[in-house]
Amino acid sequence: MRAAIMNRASLHFVLAALVAIALPLFMRSGTLASEVLIFAMAAAACNLLLGYTGLLSFGQGIFFGLGSYAAGLTLLHTSLPLGVALVLAAIAGAVVATGVGWLSIRRQGVYFVMLTLAFSQFFYFLAYTFKDITGGDNGLLNIPRPAIGPFSLGGSWAYYAFVAVLFLLVFAALQRVASSTFGRTLLAVRDNEERARAIGFPVRNFKITAFAISGAVTGLAGALHALLIGVAPLSNIEYHMSESILIMTIIGGTGNLFASVLGAGFYVIVSDLLSSIWPRWLLLLGGLLIVVALFMQKGLWGLLERLVEALPMGRKSSIKSSIESPIPPESEGRGI
Amino acid sequence: MLNRRDLLKLSSVAASSLLLPTGLRPAFAASEDITIGAPLPMSGPFAANGKFGSMGTAMIVEEVGKVLDRKLSYLEIDTEGKPATAVRKVQEAIERGVTLFSGGILSSEALAMGKEVAKGKGVFITTAGADEITGSECNKNTFRWSVPTFGAIEQTVRPLIEQLPNAKRWYTITPQYVFGDGLLNAAKAIFKEKGIEHVGNSYHSLTEKEFSGYLTNAMAAKPDALLILNFGSQSSDTLRQAVSFGMKNRMTILLAWASGLEQFEALGPELMEGVYFGAQYWHGIDSPFNRELVAKVQAKHKMNPNYAFASAYLTTKILIDAAAKAGSTEGPAVIQAMEGMKYAGLTGDEEIRATDHQVIKNYYLLKGKAKSVMKDKDDYADIISFGKSFQSPEQAQCKMA
Amino acid sequence: MIYLFQLVNGIGLGMLYFLLAVGLSIIFGLLHFVNFAHGAFYLLGAYLVYDLTERGLNFWAALLVAPIIVAGLAALTESVLLRRIYHLPHTFHILVTVGLALMVQELVIILWGPVGGNVSTPGALSGVLILGDFIYPQYRLFVIGLTLVLAIGLWWLLEGTRLGAVVRAGSESIDMVSLLGIDIVRVNTAVFALGAGLAGLAGALAAPIRGVEPFMGVEALGIAFVVVVIGGMGSYTGALIAGLLVGIVQSIMTTLWPEGARLMIYLGMGLVILTMPRGLLGRA
Repeated sequence: MRAAIMNRASLHFVLAALVAIALPLFMRSGTLASEVLIFAMAAAACNLLLGYTGLLSFGQGIFFGLGSYAAGLTLLHTSLPLGVALVLAAIAGAVVATGVGWLSIRRQGVYFVMLTLAFSQFFYFLAYTFKDITGGDNGLLNIPRPAIGPFSLGGSWAYYAFVAVLFLLVFAALQRVASSTFGRTLLAVRDNEERARAIGFPVRNFKITAFAISGAVTGLAGALHALLIGVAPLSNIEYHMSESILIMTIIGGTGNLFASVLGAGFYVIVSDLLSSIWPRWLLLLGGLLIVVALFMQKGLWGLLERLVEALPMGRKSSIKSSIESPIPPESEGRGI
Repeated sequence: MLNRRDLLKLSSVAASSLLLPTGLRPAFAASEDITIGAPLPMSGPFAANGKFGSMGTAMIVEEVGKVLDRKLSYLEIDTEGKPATAVRKVQEAIERGVTLFSGGILSSEALAMGKEVAKGKGVFITTAGADEITGSECNKNTFRWSVPTFGAIEQTVRPLIEQLPNAKRWYTITPQYVFGDGLLNAAKAIFKEKGIEHVGNSYHSLTEKEFSGYLTNAMAAKPDALLILNFGSQSSDTLRQAVSFGMKNRMTILLAWASGLEQFEALGPELMEGVYFGAQYWHGIDSPFNRELVAKVQAKHKMNPNYAFASAYLTTKILIDAAAKAGSTEGPAVIQAMEGMKYAGLTGDEEIRATDHQVIKNYYLLKGKAKSVMKDKDDYADIISFGKSFQSPEQAQCKMA
Repeated sequence: MIYLFQLVNGIGLGMLYFLLAVGLSIIFGLLHFVNFAHGAFYLLGAYLVYDLTERGLNFWAALLVAPIIVAGLAALTESVLLRRIYHLPHTFHILVTVGLALMVQELVIILWGPVGGNVSTPGALSGVLILGDFIYPQYRLFVIGLTLVLAIGLWWLLEGTRLGAVVRAGSESIDMVSLLGIDIVRVNTAVFALGAGLAGLAGALAAPIRGVEPFMGVEALGIAFVVVVIGGMGSYTGALIAGLLVGIVQSIMTTLWPEGARLMIYLGMGLVILTMPRGLLGRA
């Protein structure tokens, strides 16, 4: 059993590494490839809250945007190195997420969701109003992309390599968190909060910690995004960003962290493709969301699982299917 | 058990994610062709402008056909109205050899794209309105065709004040951001100079749709003129609601930054009659180039060109002509050809100022007409006055490296 | 004095917000369904009125027909699509309704173009009411009056009819209602259609005030959620009070702190959620 769990997580890491290696082979654009990994990080962080803790947060855009601003401001106004800027972005994300989480978890279910939505609007307003700091609607421009040590990150594939390394490190770290006692406690909280509390777990603190971790990773992703495009735009902190990240997470599947990589990759690449074919591509995206909800509730990962299960490998229980994907129980459907 | 449905789903998913980006990119021409990038918001809230901009670019590209003995083509790039998407797609286009770009309708996109094109040593000409584009954020690779806030106000508020000597009290409604402040400050300077009493200002957010509160405040201040400084659908909403409050009968209304024909179509003559509008372009402009364009567009598309269409047509043409003049499509060469370029443009004679890459052109004051005097279905307004007003590059804070 | 004007204006806004939000509230109360497509019904109501009046139908007829069409479309969507996902976790409700909202928005652009348009105020109501210094559009007064009548009608429907009783009972215990032999499936469809129809009516009424454009559903959705949350999910009276509150606050803020008018709405929602667990009057 334990071996199976280990295998499973390491399989996901291998898959993540494969994706990171495969993207340059299949994609023409280093910028798009970097975006895939950046949003994969954000989706995985969102999944930590959604899939593992059962918290549907519409606030991920807050942390993403703040990470962008933090990194941008650091690189523009100080001569601190790139690494420090990234760390500051992660810290900014973590701190704000802790605050947002602490307040939001006072309510459950739909009210929690609405609260995160309200926060999202609030931070958007702040970013927009304090235009002397954030550049307002114009965004923070001219963000440089300094070299890291002897490596220049100017070229798009050079930057991709940097993002890929960070991505894999963060992915491994998140996996560690997910498979730790803390992570498994989160699952218990998600499945039955009353029981978890009765057993004596510090439910509130754990939820807030989950928020903090999610915020840190999302903030880092936001920082990498700002460096990618050289701008920290207002749209990174907008409600729409939160919505997109959630959609990526749900499309991928809330069962495990690699699913989020699939979801982000799919969303980013297919949006890019469709938008170059038809201006009304949002119509297709909308339809896709419905299809996923109706027929692919375990997301793309679930689809992949079914495919693998069907392969005639002679083994009844493949590694993948040996453990149930953690999907929120049915009772959640009728009133949270 | 995997059933056929799942297999089909998975294979289509796999196919779309893996194969198409490398293989089937449409409209990306062979390396002999010259491809002009047209980054426009084709989806999202500004899709209307994107659609017409694309049509304008398509028309001139088809019309000219070849330049420097190479076939011309254009690449429509959907920025989705988001700077991040815009920058990424422009980056990709540059990597694939595109050097010339015409587009960027939203200021936030245009500013970000300008930086990217500068990095890639290409050329970018835009119609976005933010002062910074040829001001504090100016760069060697960006050019701008439209008139920024200073000129827009100079050519609308000033002539109107002169026309209405009894209108001494003005109220302003301003979107609360850098661009709005640009318009407001320009207006305040003229008010001070002319001894106009600025009886009040209402700021509002960029997503506001309900203006009744602000209009109630405006009416309480009893102004002689209402100056509307927002734009796009917000300006339409403000005007529509102002008219419903009977304000048209009680004061003069000036909408300083109108988009032109498609906005007027959405408003209609009942709302527009007697209202003043500031515009970058109007199909009724009496210049040789414009008359030619209008005739061509009427023949081909059975409609009159609007601002997005006409400006895209002209800005793309500028790029093409500059490339021809320079004998190359390389950024530095084209830039040199464009600096100081004088040509017959949509608003008459136009010139690209070398010091800040701002096109010196007219801005127009229009007045809405009654339905009964409209000569055809697009004859919504008459041109009252026009002229060229620009700050010097120093005043605009442009320091080109 | 200005505050009095803003108060009346706020009431006008508030009644429209109530109409928009009450459907969402009832839908959530009975079906426990998070409907991110609610703004799309508002959008459709507005565009149908636009389309019909462009074709020559008079405004009043269009005002009657548009919400009925919207309700019909909603009933169809509910029975074909939404019914299948009620049992799924809320994440999937959100996914489907967001997808629907996107599709409706793009379809609107395909059918009517991206630019938007104007709906003329009907001639009889295009003037203003002048009382001393106070000037207010007659059409907005009409909207206040009409929504008041509708509010009373809706209240009667919920309190005085069998359907209303079923809806109220169903909000408390769906199983009980089924056990009593009532076809809950049909009730669900009816309620969903009613909620959507009211949103469509709100859109239709708003069209002469705001014009029509394809993205108007997004803002409407935001307001609807705020009102429902403040008022309490599932509560009719809550939606009424909250709608008025939001409208009045928004209006008064335009004098006190214009830039922050939008923010106040969301701030208010956040504060209410934090301090009052069920909103003002909500349950479940």
